[in-house]
Amino acid sequence: MTDLSLGGRTRPDRDRVLRLLQDYGVHLGVAVLLLVNIAFTPHFLSAENFRTQAVQVAPVLIVALGMALAIGSEGVDLSVGSVMALSTSLLSLYLGYGMWIALLVAVLGGIAVGVANGALIAYIGVQPIVATLALMVAGRGLALVLLPQLKDVRDPTMASLGSGDLLGIPYLVLIAVALALLVAFVVRRTTFGRQLLAIGDSRPAARLAGLPVRRVLILVYVCSGALAAIAGVLATARLTASDPTSLGNLMELSAITAVVVGGTPLSGGRVRIGGTVAGAVLIQLLTATLIKHDLPPSWTQIAQAVVIILAVYAARERGRR
Amino acid sequence: MKPNIFFRRTSGRTSGRASAHTLLAVGLAASLALTAAGCAKSEDDSGSSGDSKSGAAEGDAGQVAATPSAGADTCVIGDYGAEKLDLKSATVGFSQSEKEANPFRIAETASIKAEAAKRGVKLLTANAQSQFSKQISDVQDLIAKGADLLVIAPLNSDGWEPVLRQAKAKHIPIVTIDRKINAAPCKDYVSFIGSDFVEQGRRAADRMIEATGGKGEVAILLGAAGNNVTTDRTKGFEEQIKKKAPDLKVVFKQTGEFAREKGQQVTEQLIQSKPGIDGIYAENDEMGLGAVGALKGAGKKAGDVKIVTIDGTKNAVRGIVDGWIDGVIESNPRFGPLAFQTLDTFTKGGKVAQDIVIKDSAYTKDNAESDLGKAY
Repeated sequence: MTDLSLGGRTRPDRDRVLRLLQDYGVHLGVAVLLLVNIAFTPHFLSAENFRTQAVQVAPVLIVALGMALAIGSEGVDLSVGSVMALSTSLLSLYLGYGMWIALLVAVLGGIAVGVANGALIAYIGVQPIVATLALMVAGRGLALVLLPQLKDVRDPTMASLGSGDLLGIPYLVLIAVALALLVAFVVRRTTFGRQLLAIGDSRPAARLAGLPVRRVLILVYVCSGALAAIAGVLATARLTASDPTSLGNLMELSAITAVVVGGTPLSGGRVRIGGTVAGAVLIQLLTATLIKHDLPPSWTQIAQAVVIILAVYAARERGRR
Repeated sequence: MKPNIFFRRTSGRTSGRASAHTLLAVGLAASLALTAAGCAKSEDDSGSSGDSKSGAAEGDAGQVAATPSAGADTCVIGDYGAEKLDLKSATVGFSQSEKEANPFRIAETASIKAEAAKRGVKLLTANAQSQFSKQISDVQDLIAKGADLLVIAPLNSDGWEPVLRQAKAKHIPIVTIDRKINAAPCKDYVSFIGSDFVEQGRRAADRMIEATGGKGEVAILLGAAGNNVTTDRTKGFEEQIKKKAPDLKVVFKQTGEFAREKGQQVTEQLIQSKPGIDGIYAENDEMGLGAVGALKGAGKKAGDVKIVTIDGTKNAVRGIVDGWIDGVIESNPRFGPLAFQTLDTFTKGGKVAQDIVIKDSAYTKDNAESDLGKAY
């Protein structure tokens, strides 16, 4: 991600390097950031630090997984942050029945938003960016109607979900890794995954080939909504509070960044889950580095922008091939 | 995510009625929302309240003006160009800037409403939902609906000319609360009532110096960027530290955006890179509570890191009782009594100060338990 000095090389060489950079640049970026931090950040090389970074990135990663599916189908899901807020509101409202029921209702809320997104896109033909923008606005509004302000969560099962671990690995991280493996499996090994990519490649062609385009599209946004709702539940468990005003704010941007930096093209037809994981980790490490060195907060945003531009630069080269 | 859906064979069927499906989907979402509200059962809140519905003025917790009226610039009704009237028979319009989604705004609106009800004054209210254009039209609406007097909690300081001109034409006295507007007092508006945010920062610094013994390293959790509350609370804190405790160093300044989650995340990074940090100054209670969560998660004990916050919400004051927070500087949102008293004096022809700075109290472990009821 940093080495772009390709001056005097011959053309085929340059192409090969660029292709490697596109495919593995994000992993390289993560490696470079890790080395820089190990060298220059005090107390970086500790189990607690890695635990913190992993726990903080878990909700972002889970949202990014759903976003990768949406982008792979040549769409996008802007409603994910609002779905997180909606799920935290629903969770808080139903905790009186116990954690599992509340959790179920929260995820159902995410699925409902996904169905609405998918129906608008697949049946009415609304552009994904517009349809999910509508649900983004409506979702946050609904979340605030259901729960007008921050409310503490006192359920002990929720608290242990947020801060507990299994064999030293936090539940949040385990869940995020399991979901990443599941989504990777779905994309690579299932009919739904193949259909999704075919639709992302060319929707008219997929339709002519007789694929159930509408059903697949709805399912894509249902997955994205459900994953965002799970992320909202986990973030709530970690905070031990439901905060629909600020939970998930700008999450759609973080998720899109993770997906794009991870090498999934915005033009659809391809989904890279490994790259998405690395993309989310890259952004987390970048933010952590700047915070730990106490650089002005505005730098974080500028640094993120630089990373996005580098990723898009790589994608541009890919498109040229 | 049922695997059998993923494995289903492709059928090639793409028919189905678009509108019917969409209606079904939207109906599903809507009915979910309704049932959510209908059969919800949230956690029992007994013994505590994250949701402080008790924000209404509680007698002894109303505001007190700190500025002496003598000597300061004042305003009388003749100078302003309005006519005397009886507040009791008048209609007051109140324009709130932000959604009542945080304890401060909830308590502020509740206080205005409670005082209007107490005095038997007719009150019209509007909420701009954090959109400045909406606030402008809100106020114009209030004027059109016949408000004789206006109380405005402005979202922005600038951009008020059209409204002020309209109010001027109708000789409507305006009092702004919690934020100032950039205009001439006693000409474009009557008075501003609010806290001195720089002073709040200074007092937080005093508490921090006391708690840490004036030595060591402290971190600041900044509020949202580009907000005058953030700049003022930072300025006051840093100046006071520099002046009174040169051995206390500010070594970390990162934004928590006034939100609990962000405060928690930033503090987690902080305590790993600077494990020896002595104090954390959070520019609002929510970020301070996030910091407490991060310290607990890192296995620290209450009192290991001194925390000072600003606002005075119930949760933060309870944090003092529990020993996690060392001081909370209050930012009093209960503007009702003082705002109406100012309007009353003014409309009777009396003198009122142009700048009414309120006296905020503070919570420490000496009074946190007994004054918990005053927190909002």
